[in-house]
Amino acid sequence: MSNMFYVAPEQLIKDRAEFAQKGIARGRSIIGAIFDTGVVMVAENPSASLHKISEIYDRIAFAGVGKYNEFDRLREAGIRWADGTGYTYSRDDVDARALTNYYAQYLGDMFTEGQKPLEVEILVAQLASPIRTTKLYRIAYDGTIADEPRYAVLGGDAETIRKRFGEITPTEPVSLAETVRHAVNALAGPERTIRHDELEIGVLEDRSTRRTFRRLNDAEVAALLE
Amino acid sequence: MGLPLFDAVSDPGPSFVAYAESARLTPLPVTAPDAVHATTVVALKCESGVVMVGDRQATSSYIASRDVRKIEAADRFTAVSISGSAARGMEFIRLAQLSFEHYEKMSDASLSLEGKANYLSPLIQRNNLTTPLVVLPLLAGWDSAHRVGRVFEYDGAGGCYERQDFAVIGSGTPFAEGALRLGFRPQMSLDEAVELGALAIYEAGDNDPSTGGPDFVRGIYPMIVTVTEDGYREFETPACADVFQRIHDRRRESGGVAGGTLR
Repeated sequence: MSNMFYVAPEQLIKDRAEFAQKGIARGRSIIGAIFDTGVVMVAENPSASLHKISEIYDRIAFAGVGKYNEFDRLREAGIRWADGTGYTYSRDDVDARALTNYYAQYLGDMFTEGQKPLEVEILVAQLASPIRTTKLYRIAYDGTIADEPRYAVLGGDAETIRKRFGEITPTEPVSLAETVRHAVNALAGPERTIRHDELEIGVLEDRSTRRTFRRLNDAEVAALLE
Repeated sequence: MGLPLFDAVSDPGPSFVAYAESARLTPLPVTAPDAVHATTVVALKCESGVVMVGDRQATSSYIASRDVRKIEAADRFTAVSISGSAARGMEFIRLAQLSFEHYEKMSDASLSLEGKANYLSPLIQRNNLTTPLVVLPLLAGWDSAHRVGRVFEYDGAGGCYERQDFAVIGSGTPFAEGALRLGFRPQMSLDEAVELGALAIYEAGDNDPSTGGPDFVRGIYPMIVTVTEDGYREFETPACADVFQRIHDRRRESGGVAGGTLR
């Protein structure tokens, strides 16, 4: 005997969205922002080894919030996709937009057809090269892509943090240190301070090497916040 | 190519080769006659790391290319070089570079030097036992964990052997090895190792028709690479020219005689 009841699609989507949002809201937020010479991602992360920010390719980085196992699998898939594409064609052919589309399609599929939607929100950042521009793509749990012009905020409290960051940060890109300070203040809010060892910061920046991603260590983070 | 997602059971892990095979990115081995081959490359240990010197010539029945790069940085602390089939060798270097980087990104940790050396074994084994396009690499680098330079050589079936002194690959091996056997001392300085490695390649270029020596007319010189705790470093062309010019001058003085004080 079947217990299937009719559920209106509006209701189904609403329930699924609520479920995903609830899962995402349990974790801390991330800010990705363009600074004067690159892109920085700032995450509040008490763990020093379970990363939320990662290198995908020479000029592409990844950040995820929500369920760790779910966004980490997406991170791994992104690295495989990028290395596989670069190996098959050329390193120049690895484009963040293509990867973003794949992520969006997968998240969208899981949202509508999966057992449950993924409780994640991810950010794909690309550093400009002679053939591409700097990009911040935010992909929501339902596969919606937002092409963010200056900065992106992911996570449960995104709207509040987004507003705070928008108020502090100037329209034109500023230095790395300044951008990081603004991001940390926005993440912390007025009532709280975040210790430097609770921050995870990844940077895409040209340093005359092919790979542009760099993870800042504790000392570097502390120095930026002084 | 779609988004390569795997469930926990079929996940290929941080190995790029395992992933590439599951996704059929690597071509299946085919049988074909050898076309272009290469080489003499030497790697030697010294006090502050390792030195690798390799010629630049690719040879079929004639000289196919005079400026092939047979030594490449596999990553910041590892140099890898190839002998044998040029086509398979280049592919091999590409795969090694990509694999080490892939592992690093996937697991947020670098492979140990020994891990990198072992990783190449099955690749060599499969290539060499399934195609006539035999390729033999040489891997040398700075072992950050043990703070020492290390040299690894391979046999045709993929066996990986660590050498405590030096290793040589390619058709000019007998001549290069002869020079190294006479000149090598443990704990040489980096400069001494560079001189000796260059001399070994000079000897090979002088005697082996498939090895190119210094080409003073075109300004193409064998590559000289060092890997120390500061990482992989490649000598610029003028620096290579200097090293080989000195050997060349001495050899001219002696009328081409190599013996005596090991010129």
